[in-house]
Amino acid sequence: MIVAEELGCDWANVTVVQADLDPKYGDQLTGGSLSVRTSYDNLRKAGAAAREMLISAAAREWYVERSTCRAKNGSVIHLSTQKRLPYAQLVALAAGISRLADPPLKNPSDFKIIGKPTRRTDSLAKVTGAAKFGLDTRLPGMLIASVERSPVYGGTPRRFNADEVKSAANVRAVLEVKSAHLTHQFGETSGPGSRNYSCAGVAVVADSTWAAVQARKLLKVEWNEPPSASETTATLRERMLRLASEPGTVIRSDGDFDKAHTSAAKRIDAVYEVPFLAHATMEPVNCTAHVRGDSCELWAPTQIPGAAADAVAAALGIPRERVKVRVTFIGGGFGRRLIQDYAIEAALISRDAGAPVQVVWSREDDIRHDFYRPAACHVLQAGLDSQGQLVSWRHRASSPSIETFYGGTGISPRAAAQVDSLDFPALFVPNFRLEFTVAESGMPLGYWRSVDASGNQFVISSFFDEAAHAAGRDPLEFLLAAFGPARKIPVGNGETLDVGRRRNVIELAAQKSGWDKPLAAGRGRGIAAAFGWGSYVAQVAEVTCDANKNSLRVDRVVCAIDCGTAVNPLGVKAQMEGAINFGLAQTLKSAITVSGGRVEQSNFHDYEVLRMSDAPPVIEVHIVPSAEPPGGCGEPGVPPAAPAVANAIFAATGKRFRRLPIRTADLHPG
Amino acid sequence: MAISFTLNGKPQSVDVSPDMPLLWVLRDTLNMTGTKFGCGMALCGACTVHINGEATRSCITAISSVAGKKVTTIEGLSADGSHPVQKAWMEEDVPQCGYCQSGQIMSAVALLSKKPNPTDTDIDDAMSGNICRCGTYQRIRKAIHRAASMQAGKA
Repeated sequence: MIVAEELGCDWANVTVVQADLDPKYGDQLTGGSLSVRTSYDNLRKAGAAAREMLISAAAREWYVERSTCRAKNGSVIHLSTQKRLPYAQLVALAAGISRLADPPLKNPSDFKIIGKPTRRTDSLAKVTGAAKFGLDTRLPGMLIASVERSPVYGGTPRRFNADEVKSAANVRAVLEVKSAHLTHQFGETSGPGSRNYSCAGVAVVADSTWAAVQARKLLKVEWNEPPSASETTATLRERMLRLASEPGTVIRSDGDFDKAHTSAAKRIDAVYEVPFLAHATMEPVNCTAHVRGDSCELWAPTQIPGAAADAVAAALGIPRERVKVRVTFIGGGFGRRLIQDYAIEAALISRDAGAPVQVVWSREDDIRHDFYRPAACHVLQAGLDSQGQLVSWRHRASSPSIETFYGGTGISPRAAAQVDSLDFPALFVPNFRLEFTVAESGMPLGYWRSVDASGNQFVISSFFDEAAHAAGRDPLEFLLAAFGPARKIPVGNGETLDVGRRRNVIELAAQKSGWDKPLAAGRGRGIAAAFGWGSYVAQVAEVTCDANKNSLRVDRVVCAIDCGTAVNPLGVKAQMEGAINFGLAQTLKSAITVSGGRVEQSNFHDYEVLRMSDAPPVIEVHIVPSAEPPGGCGEPGVPPAAPAVANAIFAATGKRFRRLPIRTADLHPG
Repeated sequence: MAISFTLNGKPQSVDVSPDMPLLWVLRDTLNMTGTKFGCGMALCGACTVHINGEATRSCITAISSVAGKKVTTIEGLSADGSHPVQKAWMEEDVPQCGYCQSGQIMSAVALLSKKPNPTDTDIDDAMSGNICRCGTYQRIRKAIHRAASMQAGKA
C-alpha cells in the first residue's frame, strides 16, 4: 500500500508477490512489530523515486517538460494534451533513468490508499486451500523426516536401534542429528555461556509422512541427560520466589522507597506468577531443505530468512551466498519462527540423507521442543498516603533470562533483566524501585508475542488496580490521576514519553466501554493499558462470573489504539482482535509445566488455547486518528488483555487472581 | 490393496496401507495440500473434510473406512472461491496466517447445511473444535452469519 500510494498505482491492479531471500532486501525480518514502522519512510521514498523515473520516461517519450506531466492510477498523463502512457509501457525506459535520492513525497492529505481500510490480497488463496505453507512444499524425490529429540533440552542420544527401525516399511535412513549452536537471530554475538542450540535427536527418514511417523514409534533411544534433568516447575518456582524476595540488581531507583514506604499511611504487597508458555502456531514447525555439495536450498516458513541462511551456512560450513531461501506462507509465527533450529535440522538431515528432505514436526514435538516464554515470579509492594495517592512502589522480579540464553553469561545483569526501567509506573510514583534477578533454568527460551510485556503487564496493571482499590478509588480515575496532565517527559537519548497519548487511549477505551454505567451483579469491568513498539493501547474487559456455576465469560473487550499513522485500518483492527484473543489464551487457558527437565504437555488437550466458545462475542477496536509516524501493531494488543480481565474479575467477584492462567474452578470460594 | 472412494465428485483409488489416515492420503499420496495437519489427534480441526456431507477430522480417519464414500475437501467447494462461505470469508477479511481456515470453512459449510440460520450458540457448538491461534473467531462468526444470509438470498 505504501509503495503503491507514492508510486501512484491503481490499487485494483496491484499484485503482491513474496520475495525469496535476496541480499538487496536485507534480512527480511518479520518480528518485533517492526515491519511498517521501519519501512514506512523507505517504501515511500522507493515508490516516489520510481514515480519520478516513470514521469521522466514519459516526458522523454513525448519530448515535453517533466513539469507538464503527472502520474496517476498507473499512468503518466501529459496535462495539456491528455496523452497518457501506462507504466507498463514506460518501465523499460524508466529503468535507465537515474534515481533521485530524495524524491518529493505526497502530502498525506492527498493519500488515496494509505489510511483506507483495505482487504488482504492473499485471502482467495487462503480460502481455497491454494496457499502454500512450509508443510505444503512438494519436491521431486522429496523424503520426509520425523525426529525424536532429546526430551531434556541439551541432551544427546547415547544409543538407538537404527537397524531395526531402518528395516520398517518405506524407511530410507535413520540418522543422528547433532545439536548446532544457533546464530543470534538479531545479529548480536552469542557469547560464552549462551545456551541457544538446536536439539539433538534421531531422524527417521521415509518416503511419506505416515511411514516416517509410524517407523519412529519403533525407535528406542537412550539419552545422555544434562544436569537440568532435575528441574521441575516446583524447583524453579521456589528459586524464583526466593530470588524475587531478596534485593536484586537495581534497574531503576527514584526517590527513597524504603523511607517513603515505611511512612506510608497504607501498604499493600503481593506475589504474582506467570508460567512458561509455548507458541503453538497452528502450522507445526517444519522446514524443507535440499543440500547439494556446497549449496543448500531451503523452503522455510521462517520469520527471518536471512538468519536461516546464516544458521544453515554455519552448520554446513558453506558460504552464505550458497544458501538460497524460499519463504513460504507461515502458519503462525508469534516469535517461534525467529529461531532457526528447524532450518539447521533440515539442512543437516538433507545432507546426510543425500536427498531433499522435509522435516515434519508432530504437534507433540512442537509443544515439547519450543523456545518458551519464560516463567516468572514478581514480588511487589506499594504505599499510599492519606489522600490515597501512590507514594512508594517496589517491584522485584525473577525469571530465566532470554538475553542470557542467547547472549551468554557475560552480559551485564541490567542487560539480562526481563524488565525495563521505563515499565509503568516508573516516572509516575515519586519513590520507585525496580529490581531483577536472573533465575537459572535449563529450559530453552524465546520471544513470545510481546515478549517481556506479555507477563509483566499482567503483573503491573493488576497490582496497580489493587492499589486503586486499596485507596478506595475508581481504577480509571486512579490511573489517570497517576499519569497527571498531558505532557512530554524526557527519558534520555533525546526521546520523550508522551503522557497525552497514553491518557488519550485510556480515556477513549473507557468512554467507548461506558465505564460509568453500572453493571448487573456478577458482572465487572477492568481496565489496563500498555505502551511500547511506538504505539499506545488501552483495553476495557467486561466479564460475567458465576462462582456457583464455576463459569467465567469474557463478554466484551473494548480496545483503543494509537499507532500513529494507521496505514491500513482493517489490518490494525485485525491485529488488535487477534492479539486480544492471543492474550486471552494465556489469561484463561495455557501453561507449560516441567517435570524431570521435560515439558509435561504434548497436544491441545493439555496445552489448551482459546477456542470459539471462549472468545468474547464482541471486540471493539477504536483507532485514534493520527498523522504521527506509524507505530507497531503486531504485539501491543497482547499485554493489556490479561490484566483487563483479571481486574474485571475482581470488580465482579472481589477475588484477585495473581497467577495465570485463571481457571474457572478457582472462582469457587470453596 | 486398492481403496476406492469419490473425491470432490470424481472417482479416486489409492493403493496404500488401510490404516493410513485420510489426511495423509490427501496430502502425500494425492498431493492435495489444502487440508492441513495441526495436531494428529482430532483436537484442532485443521484437517476437517466432509465425508458423505458430514464434517470429519481426516487425521484420525483411516482410509479403509472411507471406501465407497464421498469425500469433499476445501479444493472441492468451488473451482474459484465462489462458494458463499468462501465469499463471506473474503468479504469479512477473515484469514490472517490462513493455516486453520480450510478446516474452519469446511466446518462452517457443514454447519450451514444442517442449520441454515445458526444462532451464536450453534456456531460455538459447531466451531469450537476448530482452533485459530491468530484469533479470527469474531470474524469467523460474522462471516458465518453473512454466508447464511447469502445462502438465504438476502445479502
